Amino acid sequence: MTATRDTFAGLETWQIVLWYSLIVLSVAIFVYGVLRLLLKYRRGRGHEKFGNRRERAERVVRVVFTHAWIRRRDPMAGLGHLLVFYGFMVLFAGTVILAFQDDFANPVLSFDFWHGWFYKVYSLFLDVFGAALVVGLTYFAVKRGILRPFRLRYWRPAEPAEPLKDQPHRYEVGDWVFLGSLFFLALTGFLLESFRIAADNPGFEVWSPVGYAVGQGFRALGFDDGAAADARAVNWWVHGVFALFWVSSIPFTKAVHMLAGPAGVAAKDDRAGNRLAPLPAGAKAADVGYAFIDSLLPKHLLDLDACTKCGKCHAACPATATGYPLSPRDLVLDLREVAEGSMGNRAALGIEPTFPEHAQLIDTIKPETLWSCMQCMACVEICPVGIEHVPIINQMRRALVEKGDMDGQLQQTLETIYTCGNSFGETSRKRGRWTRDLDFDVKDIRKRPAEVLWFVGDYASFDPRNQKVSRSLAQILRRAGVDFGILYDGERTAGNDVRRVGEEGLYADLAEENVATISSCSFDRILTSDPHSFNTLKNEYPQFGGAWDVMHHSQLLLELIESGRLNVKKGLGYRVTYHDPCTLGRYNGVYDPPRQVLEALGAELVEMPRNRDNALCCGAGGGRIWMKELKGEDSPRPSELRIDEAVELGGIDYFVVACPKDVTMYEDAIKTSGHQGDIELRELSELVYESLALA
Amino acid sequence: MKVLVAVKQVAVLGDEVEFTEDEREVDPDYLDFALNEWDSYATEEALRLVEAAGSGEVVVVTVGDEDAEDCMRRCLAMGADRGIRVEAVRTLDPIQVARALAEVVQSESPDLVFAGVQSSDSVQAATGGALAGLLDMPSVAVVTKIELGEGKATVNRELEGGLVDVVEVDTPAVITIQTGINEPRYATLRAIKQAEEKEIEVRQPGDLGPQAQRVRRMFVPPKGEGAEMLDGGAAEVAHRIQEIVQEKLA
Amino acid sequence: MSILIVAEHRRGKVRPITLEMVSAAKELGDETVVAVIAKDPATLADQVDVEGVREIVCVKVDPEGFENDVVREALEQLISDREPDVVLVGFSIDSMGFGPALAAKLGLGFASDVFALRRDGDDLVAERSFYGSKVNAELDFPNSERVLLMIRPTAWPPAEGEGAAISAELDVTISGSRARHVDFHEVAASEDVDITGADFLLSVGRGVGEKENLGQFEGLADKMGATLSVSRPLVDQGWMPSSRQVGQSGKTVKPKVYLALGISGAVQHLAGMKTSGTIIAINTDPEAAIFNVAHYGAVADLFEVAEELEKLY
Repeated sequence: MTATRDTFAGLETWQIVLWYSLIVLSVAIFVYGVLRLLLKYRRGRGHEKFGNRRERAERVVRVVFTHAWIRRRDPMAGLGHLLVFYGFMVLFAGTVILAFQDDFANPVLSFDFWHGWFYKVYSLFLDVFGAALVVGLTYFAVKRGILRPFRLRYWRPAEPAEPLKDQPHRYEVGDWVFLGSLFFLALTGFLLESFRIAADNPGFEVWSPVGYAVGQGFRALGFDDGAAADARAVNWWVHGVFALFWVSSIPFTKAVHMLAGPAGVAAKDDRAGNRLAPLPAGAKAADVGYAFIDSLLPKHLLDLDACTKCGKCHAACPATATGYPLSPRDLVLDLREVAEGSMGNRAALGIEPTFPEHAQLIDTIKPETLWSCMQCMACVEICPVGIEHVPIINQMRRALVEKGDMDGQLQQTLETIYTCGNSFGETSRKRGRWTRDLDFDVKDIRKRPAEVLWFVGDYASFDPRNQKVSRSLAQILRRAGVDFGILYDGERTAGNDVRRVGEEGLYADLAEENVATISSCSFDRILTSDPHSFNTLKNEYPQFGGAWDVMHHSQLLLELIESGRLNVKKGLGYRVTYHDPCTLGRYNGVYDPPRQVLEALGAELVEMPRNRDNALCCGAGGGRIWMKELKGEDSPRPSELRIDEAVELGGIDYFVVACPKDVTMYEDAIKTSGHQGDIELRELSELVYESLALA
Repeated sequence: MKVLVAVKQVAVLGDEVEFTEDEREVDPDYLDFALNEWDSYATEEALRLVEAAGSGEVVVVTVGDEDAEDCMRRCLAMGADRGIRVEAVRTLDPIQVARALAEVVQSESPDLVFAGVQSSDSVQAATGGALAGLLDMPSVAVVTKIELGEGKATVNRELEGGLVDVVEVDTPAVITIQTGINEPRYATLRAIKQAEEKEIEVRQPGDLGPQAQRVRRMFVPPKGEGAEMLDGGAAEVAHRIQEIVQEKLA
Repeated sequence: MSILIVAEHRRGKVRPITLEMVSAAKELGDETVVAVIAKDPATLADQVDVEGVREIVCVKVDPEGFENDVVREALEQLISDREPDVVLVGFSIDSMGFGPALAAKLGLGFASDVFALRRDGDDLVAERSFYGSKVNAELDFPNSERVLLMIRPTAWPPAEGEGAAISAELDVTISGSRARHVDFHEVAASEDVDITGADFLLSVGRGVGEKENLGQFEGLADKMGATLSVSRPLVDQGWMPSSRQVGQSGKTVKPKVYLALGISGAVQHLAGMKTSGTIIAINTDPEAAIFNVAHYGAVADLFEVAEELEKLY
């Protein structure tokens, strides 16, 4: 007997016709749903040019097939998804091969390949991967039902808006239905196979080990021949119809991530967040930011569908962790409800909750939610489907700023920056004042050329604690013979956080002035100790015509040490830990230079429990340092949480930072968390300076 | 409904100061400039009244040099419809400023004239009152609430010591606006840039009259007369405060 | 020099600025006339009969309380009747209405918020400050024969001593009042505390930064046995009721100890607290005007000092 089987065994002609009709219907519904999704995305504003198509294609293939992004920070879940993914893919591929054989190769080409060794290998493959699917699904069921990790619970730091009150509950039900439907699909598939084997019992079906074993089990129980054949016939329809129904439902359910996820990965701007978009020229108030659901870029509407509620952003977000009324996951989900209920499939089908066309986002997303964001990029960085939360929030903030919908303190700060050019409300002439306590003059680079233009930034210029750090760095540069100068009163705040607050007009103004000032100077490279300034100078000023070689001081210090220009001894035997600034680490991938400098000084670095890409924001980013507190009443501040973590490491002498805002935030947090005396703060330059004294 | 708002670009002095050679003014190099805080409240109040009326116009007027237009841009960005600048030097006294404004008010015939209670740089609290005097218009100073009626308005005048005087004033009137009357809206830089397209008419002043005051000399006031400065860190300062409090309350 | 002082009164009482102006007038000359413009001026005249006043002119007008047009017209007629060299009015909310109006209309020399006066030969020299009280200026009035000055409250001590003023009356005609008094009401009539009665005030200003920080200072005030008061910006922001506000538009206070944290010292604030027994000021700006009235000062961060104080109490 040739190893094969008859797909339509025992079916009447009309039944086969019915079957093909159902296939057509299913595909039609699927196509309709997908088209409606595409139409929805087209309702978004603006057109993006997706350059680097080759790189994008390579990325999506790599990310999808290796699960590189899904595996991160939860390898077990990654493995689980890998089993489900490949299980599903192989079963799907098997179905496609079968359809090719039955509907094309055999009838058209008279080429019948689905038998013999091919059939056996085919059977084995599908059976094993089917089993993998079931194992993966079981793992997920255990994870959701029993393990219940934080990220998979729909607890929210803030109540959803009125029409979405029941949504968390619906999500829970939806997740189980999704999981259950896949399970059902797999189960009926195996049953079908087992019934068939129980009925016919061909020996070659040992190549379907699972089905064969179960089939033999049926036979042992006396369930064979006619009874099994009847069960098979019923099950054939149950499995087949359910499978068709399932496929047609993809664009309408959580399964949409199978399409939108890879699309999101492909479309993701790999510099999302670190380089925000300027306002369109001549923008009117209505063009500014995301005020309405159809203001979103098509890519950002796609992001909403890509979300699988995996909650990795929810777990990574410093705002969520400290009870601010923001969770990036919930924000994306709420936006998705608005998009779907306003112009998606749900709106078309009239399923509640619906939203008006051109729905105003402020009705659903509260301003406090948007102001809670620290723009730290933890969410974007960890999202397995390439969602760009940070630019989305930034655009929504722009709309709030345009309406003047912000807290008084922030408004005052922006007005101060407008009038004074810095957030401290100081007159510009005081910018260079910190140099007065040095025993040498710092060059005014506007008048005399220098190798390095040091863009000092607000905190390092005006804040007394940070001025000490600036003087340490200046001494180091002098010792290393670096020819440097500063802009004195010509410098204005770089504007990184002004941009992240959403005051794009003010940012552009600051950037244009700084670009003009810097362009008139003669230098080789730009240095800054402020990661915020670093980010915007390096990544965003090119939008305003200022493209330079920009370095963070940790990079320059390392360079000076490695080249021997700075003669440090491995004499500092301190036990230290290091906090990665968001704008240096996640934004720009500068993780190693500060660590290498610490190593060169002889310090023992004990890593924070959350470090590098997973480092928790200090809470100052995104302009939060200028706003009133929004954290949960019983929660510590993110910075206090961080200090707690550092103290728990045990015996840490210094909490080392490489960002002026961190100096301010953590000096404060050490006091407010009650850890004065347990740990002290040092800026990287201060330790380097200290080690110079040993040399 | 037409409201005319007199606004001023004020000078802000940092903690360093040099005087001009004749010692009659601060060297402008040491000054930063901004819209007078009170005037942003006055502009906001005018905008709210016109918005509530459904139609009308808010005209902002300043007396000063071209730089003074910056402050007006801010008001225009907030929503004021047009601006008028009367060409003048920055250092006029308040009565001369009122004379310059009076000509504009006469030509514009607004229903209400607003001015801030005072300017943060010279704190004369006089321009609004002087303007009313020159035009013989009814006026109320230091107002924290306005309710418009037919040909009149009911306003709250904020008196010393937390007392409020409710006043019924015939309109047109000159009203000086106190901070806290509202929350001035934010003018985005985008709006400020776009306000450059709004018209600012420049007028030459007529006779501004003689100076009502002349600065003989300016000087830095003798510092901390009698104030004993406590040195040392925060802990030491706190300790000294404790001692002083204990001694003085005993 | 002949001086005409316009007495300020409210609800049947002469306000302290009136007697302070009598002291101020002594710097200029001895021909001081005090005008009492009121519905029943005779009942108020006694209160201004202090040493240094030569004559008290009672001007009877209709309205019970202050009405701007009425006082302005009455004063205009007083000036043309008495032809004083100098007219003194308070730098007060009432006078802000009619003072500058008359100066402008009559072409008088003018200055407001004057806190020092002297004669330099025939010239009158007045002192006031500019630029957030960081700079003082001496003013003179070369173009004017007559000068109207608005006098800063609390700049001079109130005049005391038995007076022997002659009294006179002046009839004035008032053409009408276009801004009429309707009612008084107290804002937030001391719903919690009366800061004017406290011996020890801990006062905070803009320096606290955000509303959430206020709790810390409430706690500190409690610990130290002080009453918490604030400067105007905190009331404008709606962070504290105006019953807690110190300053011209708030309460005038005179505690034994006034501890000012993060208050720069706007003129209006100083007017409300500078007669306090002992003033201690903490501010990060070494040039803050509050240091000019303080007895003790420290250039420091208010939060750091507050934390240290927390530990001590």
